[in-house]
Amino acid sequence: MKWVKQEFLKKWIWGLRKYSSEKKSMSLMERKKAIKVSADLAMACTRNNRTRWSRALIANASKDGSSKILTEHLLSSSLPIRKSFNSTRMRSCRNILRRNRAVRRPKDRVVASFIAKKLVQKRTRRLKSLLPGGEFMDDVSLVDETLDYIQSLRAQVEVMRCLVTASELMILSPS
Amino acid sequence: MEETSLEAIQFNDEIQGLMAPAPETANSFTALLELPPTQAVELLHSPELAGKPPRHGPKPYPLTSFAAANLTFPSNTALIERAARFSVFAGENSNSNTNTNTNSNSNSPEVKRELLEYDSTPSSTCGRVSDLAAENKNPKRKEREKKVKASSKKRKSVTDESSGDGEKLPYVHVRVRRGQATDSHSLAERARREKINARMKLLQELVPGCNKISGMALVLDKIINHVQSLQQEVEILSMKLAAVNPVIDFNLDSLLATEGVSPMDCNFPRTVAPVMWPEIPQNGNRQQYHQPEIPQNIDRQQYQQPEIPHNGNREQYQQPWQFEAFHQPLWGREEDNTNFMTPENSLLSYDSSANSVSMHLSQLKMEL
Repeated sequence: MKWVKQEFLKKWIWGLRKYSSEKKSMSLMERKKAIKVSADLAMACTRNNRTRWSRALIANASKDGSSKILTEHLLSSSLPIRKSFNSTRMRSCRNILRRNRAVRRPKDRVVASFIAKKLVQKRTRRLKSLLPGGEFMDDVSLVDETLDYIQSLRAQVEVMRCLVTASELMILSPS
Repeated sequence: MEETSLEAIQFNDEIQGLMAPAPETANSFTALLELPPTQAVELLHSPELAGKPPRHGPKPYPLTSFAAANLTFPSNTALIERAARFSVFAGENSNSNTNTNTNSNSNSPEVKRELLEYDSTPSSTCGRVSDLAAENKNPKRKEREKKVKASSKKRKSVTDESSGDGEKLPYVHVRVRRGQATDSHSLAERARREKINARMKLLQELVPGCNKISGMALVLDKIINHVQSLQQEVEILSMKLAAVNPVIDFNLDSLLATEGVSPMDCNFPRTVAPVMWPEIPQNGNRQQYHQPEIPQNIDRQQYQQPEIPHNGNREQYQQPWQFEAFHQPLWGREEDNTNFMTPENSLLSYDSSANSVSMHLSQLKMEL
């Protein structure tokens, strides 16, 4: 876990420095977005493209208008961005999945098992929406990805907290 | 759907109050055990009624763990054997008590136990991708479920059925219950559900506060809340960082030169690490580190966990010569990256674990 944090911090700070060297003055929100996006990307990069959520996160960041440039800056030298993501293909996959889900036989609406099933389905859908790239995962890999994602989020939060306290200390006691 | 979901949630809460979840079937995340709650309660209470001496001492398994065997399954052979005997008692209680009945009941658990012990070895040797631990649990749990379920119905030659169904698939040792379909589809589906339940167990251990909860929906709720809270935390922290630094420079030299150690929060050990560096005599342009930081040792030892002072001393001792050895070639490079790498590593690697120093050093070596 520790080396993950080290990797993450390295990549994050490096990316931020690179970005800030090119864009000198940024507003608060711009800074916040730059910090967050570079942190997310750095964390995703520590996974070495092995997990689906990391790939999806990088892909989303490279597509999203506001963070596209940032992503290109950060990742141009380390990992090649898979720009060949065909969005129409993804959409059709999603539609197929949706159609499969829709074909159910609701025997009885009030049966307890049906209700329980519906509850679980609802939550699964919600979890998929939370996880980057989760909508295309099947149940088995969803649980795996959630595990990994939670662990990496925890590491990210800890490192960021550490940096925040260090910066605050720096401000409170200027040397 | 909203009305049904509302009443369903209330319904769910009611059931939770009764300490036994509703039977959930045929979903990717739902339980396999379809035992009605009352019977589970009966089974659990029967040893106390019968005054059975426990094998491994008193086992405080809650009712919910028994009823929702999918989530908190005790893979203890002793408990399973006891469960087998419970089924005997329950069978006695539910059926009419005859001597022949008890005899047949007492015989079959023995046979099943043998089968159970026999099954644990082949499943452990099969080289399947999924959890071997989960696989190990599978036959045992199925056996136990079968025994439990069999107690509610009249039993015939259960042993033949179990031995026959066990060898259907070459990889997965899945046992079918009585009255369940034995075609490959449902078997595969059951195996898949087992896999998912095993992973969910891991997830439950990871997310705090999930262990006691039985019921897939509530566990998923907790997981979702946890993920959401972590994501929000990231947002808040990035906003804080943006507010603290007017320009994103993250000047780590100045970070390292920070004085004023105070017990701010639990991340204290990490923030102290950079101020340890200044104690070491350095050369080159890092003269800003020439600050006597000796009083901070004492502070550090006060605030940190007990094992830290020992490690801290060791690090101090080791660092002087290592630092000099590594730092000179490092400063020869003009790159911006590596200049802050080493202090970063110390920032993070100063931990309570004993091997932090070696990891730190290996990281430095890799940098060079």
